[in-house]
Amino acid sequence: MLHKYRWYEYVLIYSGVAVFLTFVLAPFVEAFVVSLRPLSSLFSIPYRFITDEMSFDAYFTMWQNVPLLWMYMLNSFFIATVVTVLGLICIIPAAYAFSRFEFPARNTLLGLFIAVNMFSGAVLIIPLFKLMQQYGLLNTYFAMIAPGTAFVIPTGIWLLRSYLVRIPKELEEAAWVDGAGKIYTLVRVIIPVALPGIVVVTITAFITAYAQQFIYALTFNSVNELNPLPVGLFQFFGRQSVVWNELMAASLVGILPVLFVYVFLQRYIVAGLTAGAVKE
Amino acid sequence: MGELQLRDVRKSYGQVEVIKGVDLDVDHGEFIVFVGPSGCGKSTLLRMIAGLEEITGGDITIDTKVVNNLPPVKRGIAMVFQSYALYPHMSVYENIAFPLRVERLPNDKVEEKVQNAAGILQLTERLQHKPGELSGGQRQRVAIGRAIVREPSVFLFDEPLSNLDAALRAEMRVELAKLHNDLDATMIYVTHDQVEAMTMADRIVVLDQGVISQVGTPLELYHKPQNLFVAGFIGNPKMNFIQVTGKKSGEDGVTVELPSGQELTVKVKAQGDVSGRSLKLGIRPEHLTLGAADASIDVVPNVVEHLGIHTVTYSSVAGASSTFCSVLQGSAPAKVGVAVATGLNGADCHLFDENGNAFERQVSIAALDPAEMHI
Repeated sequence: MLHKYRWYEYVLIYSGVAVFLTFVLAPFVEAFVVSLRPLSSLFSIPYRFITDEMSFDAYFTMWQNVPLLWMYMLNSFFIATVVTVLGLICIIPAAYAFSRFEFPARNTLLGLFIAVNMFSGAVLIIPLFKLMQQYGLLNTYFAMIAPGTAFVIPTGIWLLRSYLVRIPKELEEAAWVDGAGKIYTLVRVIIPVALPGIVVVTITAFITAYAQQFIYALTFNSVNELNPLPVGLFQFFGRQSVVWNELMAASLVGILPVLFVYVFLQRYIVAGLTAGAVKE
Repeated sequence: MGELQLRDVRKSYGQVEVIKGVDLDVDHGEFIVFVGPSGCGKSTLLRMIAGLEEITGGDITIDTKVVNNLPPVKRGIAMVFQSYALYPHMSVYENIAFPLRVERLPNDKVEEKVQNAAGILQLTERLQHKPGELSGGQRQRVAIGRAIVREPSVFLFDEPLSNLDAALRAEMRVELAKLHNDLDATMIYVTHDQVEAMTMADRIVVLDQGVISQVGTPLELYHKPQNLFVAGFIGNPKMNFIQVTGKKSGEDGVTVELPSGQELTVKVKAQGDVSGRSLKLGIRPEHLTLGAADASIDVVPNVVEHLGIHTVTYSSVAGASSTFCSVLQGSAPAKVGVAVATGLNGADCHLFDENGNAFERQVSIAALDPAEMHI
């Protein structure tokens, strides 16, 4: 496609991009600036972008103020990782089955999975609480992991299924003719070929799990040592004041794992989202 | 060994019957080509032999064993797919070794067999490459290599050359024919390309709407098509058909009246009373001449193609259902819009009855087919 923009079109495009980026990135910038300020100059009026005595002190003092902070971060990462792994263990075979096998009520089941997705986890908090209570599962990692896993599975199945249906059927037929069973084919042929799709599902599941753990942790867990970061951050809310700069510093550090996962895997995301869009 | 029998093989999808009772015997070492137009069921039939499609009725026997309910791997077949179906993440070596890995063969055995297959297919240099780095012809060879290592009784090819360009296709055709000789294996080959069928097959199976229309050697199909379908399908450009009226039948053939009123005696076996019957005369474009002949048709070309070696004309002719095509030797003096008297000889013609079945021609295949000649 050959198209040259005029200069004013460039101006429009870039100012549009700038507006969007400002909206998206402003909170991060503000969080970062706040984390650098001493508490005393946080509420200065008029607003000043640069204040005196800016430093990275908050990034050090936060570990002393909330000694379990590293524990919360580890918990967050641990819960999200386990949710992702368990989710994938369910998603991959299920998506394969949905994409390849004919069985009764296949489409109904797929529809049900989408329907589950339309509920927010919050709707089910009370029943889940009763359930966990009865089985004595409150205040365990399991209580935070199990519902999280359940909620990443439907999206995962839909995402991966749409990727798998694009893999040519001949690949499996060739393997079948060569004597490979369904499981062997799945492991040796389908999974490697579908890797970009699986990475996309992994990232989505991980980010979802990272974001949604707050509500489960808040409801099902009251053991401080098990808390993930979003709940742990409440420790910065003192009786009289909120330690904003340390809170922001901790939040930013808490984002890092997701950021790392994303940076390392993002080239797969692009490949995965566009694969098959154009005939190669 | 590689013997294959099909007995009244049927396949239905719900109410729709796509294979309507196919009987076929294939001997060890034969190269059989299934040919037919799109949707005639040739690929389905092949997939049924492979075990990729269930068999609704009848029996498929490979080496005296009924294989109807066996999975592909237990049937002693290997299949090469149209799209190659190579595993993109594995090297050429691992692709060829795949069936052996499934069998859990020890590594040294795998190495030996893969090297052997790669040697036959000239892929030794390419073993460490990924399929994505290979050309179309090489990919197809890898797919064949994966079939060879299993040492099957029967090789199945599903339009293996249709993804290649014309030059490569001609080259691969020769290689496949050579491979067939080297391996001494039974091969079943599906194609819609009649050149592939004519050049490679020991016998061709022409399929039409789920039934076998005719089975025979390439020259048998060319010279003695049993019905209108085969007559029209084999040969390029296709045979011309003219509506004629039967006059009389005798030892020297059947005499018919052309739309122009001329009479022509077609050299077919004597029939009963044919007078007044409405028959179809078939004449291949390459059998039309400009010189003296038993009868002639006035042809006014709409299009003339000068190819140097041939001159091809397309015209509309009374009594012919579609475009009447003639292939004349050399640079024939044919011009668009100018009538040419085109001659046809009774010995070259085919004659079909009202149901499209051919009257058997008085030609001996043995005299035409070098394979049958005893020199």
